[in-house]
Amino acid sequence: MAALLTKEKETTLYLGPQHPGITGNMMVELKLTGDTIQRAKTHVGYLHRAFEKLMEERLWMQCFPIVCRICVPEPDPNEENLARAIEEIEGREVPERAQYIRVLMLELARITAYLMWMGGQSGSMGLYTMPQWSIGDRDYILDLFEELTGGRVYHMYIWAGGVRRDLPVGFKDRVRKVMDYIESRLVDYDRLLFENAIFLKRAQGIGIIDKEKALEWGVVGPPLRGCGIAHDVRKDEPYEVYDQLDFELITHEGNDVYSRAMVRRKEIEQSIHIIRQVLDKMPSGPIHNPGPNPLKWKVPAGDAYVRTESARGEFGYYVVSDGSLKPRRVHVRGPAYVHGIALLEHLLQGANVADVSFIMNSLGTCPPEIER
Amino acid sequence: MDSKLIKEQEIKRNINNAFRSAEVTVVRRRRISVRFRAGILPAFISYLKEYMGFVHLVMISCVDWLEDNQFELVYHLWSYEEHIHAMIKIRLDRDNAQIKSLSSLWPHAETYEREIHEMFGVDFEGHPGLTDLILEDWSDLPPMRRDFDTRAFVAETFEWRKGREDAQDVRQTISARYGETIPEFKKDK
Repeated sequence: MAALLTKEKETTLYLGPQHPGITGNMMVELKLTGDTIQRAKTHVGYLHRAFEKLMEERLWMQCFPIVCRICVPEPDPNEENLARAIEEIEGREVPERAQYIRVLMLELARITAYLMWMGGQSGSMGLYTMPQWSIGDRDYILDLFEELTGGRVYHMYIWAGGVRRDLPVGFKDRVRKVMDYIESRLVDYDRLLFENAIFLKRAQGIGIIDKEKALEWGVVGPPLRGCGIAHDVRKDEPYEVYDQLDFELITHEGNDVYSRAMVRRKEIEQSIHIIRQVLDKMPSGPIHNPGPNPLKWKVPAGDAYVRTESARGEFGYYVVSDGSLKPRRVHVRGPAYVHGIALLEHLLQGANVADVSFIMNSLGTCPPEIER
Repeated sequence: MDSKLIKEQEIKRNINNAFRSAEVTVVRRRRISVRFRAGILPAFISYLKEYMGFVHLVMISCVDWLEDNQFELVYHLWSYEEHIHAMIKIRLDRDNAQIKSLSSLWPHAETYEREIHEMFGVDFEGHPGLTDLILEDWSDLPPMRRDFDTRAFVAETFEWRKGREDAQDVRQTISARYGETIPEFKKDK
């Protein structure tokens, strides 16, 4: 018995590819002494579908149904990015109403992604009431998506030049109603998760990102704002009509899982605030600036990088066209590519084995966008 | 000159003062593009990072220009202070694609370089471990290269299930191959 206590052997634990609480499959190889992690190594490759290669063999229009599959919980930034990259290369104008509708979609998608994250974050610490509630409430927004676009999860709604169809009659009122409902539910979420003593105890002081090094490590989005560093693509490089909307940049000091959770919690309020402004300010007019026949659609030679603030951070597309019917290269920058591999491996050193999926979730790890 | 592009022009001047061979283009507001040679890339990038405020490595892209027999590596950098995105473009010879690694400057550059090595076959000098990232035991041509024939690979690797091409009943094929009995439904009789 004494020998066991004095000399601890290092063991290897393969965690995954199935995880509680993250959307997708990836494996983490852990070297443990006792239940403390000494080293961690991520293994991805379970979800590789070669979307970027597929797109090189597709017409430009055919790329839109592909890109939204890159991230399951929040597909809209993908569509919006691809559309905006193509518009930038072509120099195509987007009607103002379409830009407002895009912001509406992106913010609704952000709320759904945060609700899904809430479920995952609390599920990974054994609190299973929260997923039931938040995924249930997410469905009210999915109903709106279904009414507007025909699809609940993948919308294929935003395309180059605008959006696919206009808002149905009475849609704005239904959005307002759902926003009022979600806002009223935030009190319950606070009681159940964000002010929960167990959550506070589990989340505070866990998964600390070094504030000095956060920018160097490529941390973006809520994890960066959870370090008290105020950067948001919506403010830094406003796209669509974000520069005409009033919202606060949420930051929280603490650098840990808790502060990242609080950033997301408060951003839901901001998103609701943005959506209400969008509904009030939305002008009338056309929703689409049509391009050429999709079968003969050649995008002029050139390249563009565009970025969006997704629920996990900066989402970017680098699109290169050689002037032909098909893209030369579409390269997707998912925030999880940085958070889920290099940063996660670093944060897991010295952590407890029970906190692996907890930390993973707080970083917004999303394997589909790592592998594309 | 567009008065809005003052910051971009200033960065262009500063870069040109330090590195004469850099061809800087101001693409639009908040976007600059730099063509550079591969030899002293780490020095150039670390100059941008340490002195010009481009602290955020957004990503490293690789584009295969098969016609020119070249790879184009694009280093995307973002300056949080100036809110400017710089694309550093480097052309490499496709047959002997080699460049110095940037993993000492940014820890996550390592992941991007691993992927480019795996998908395009570009060799990064000084990288701590160019092991497989997404693929497993891949011995074929790196798959993101333009001359990798996806359709031929699929035709060789995967077996098409019989019954699709000749509109045959798939249940018949499966039952013949695996010896399964086909459940009978009322409609079949």
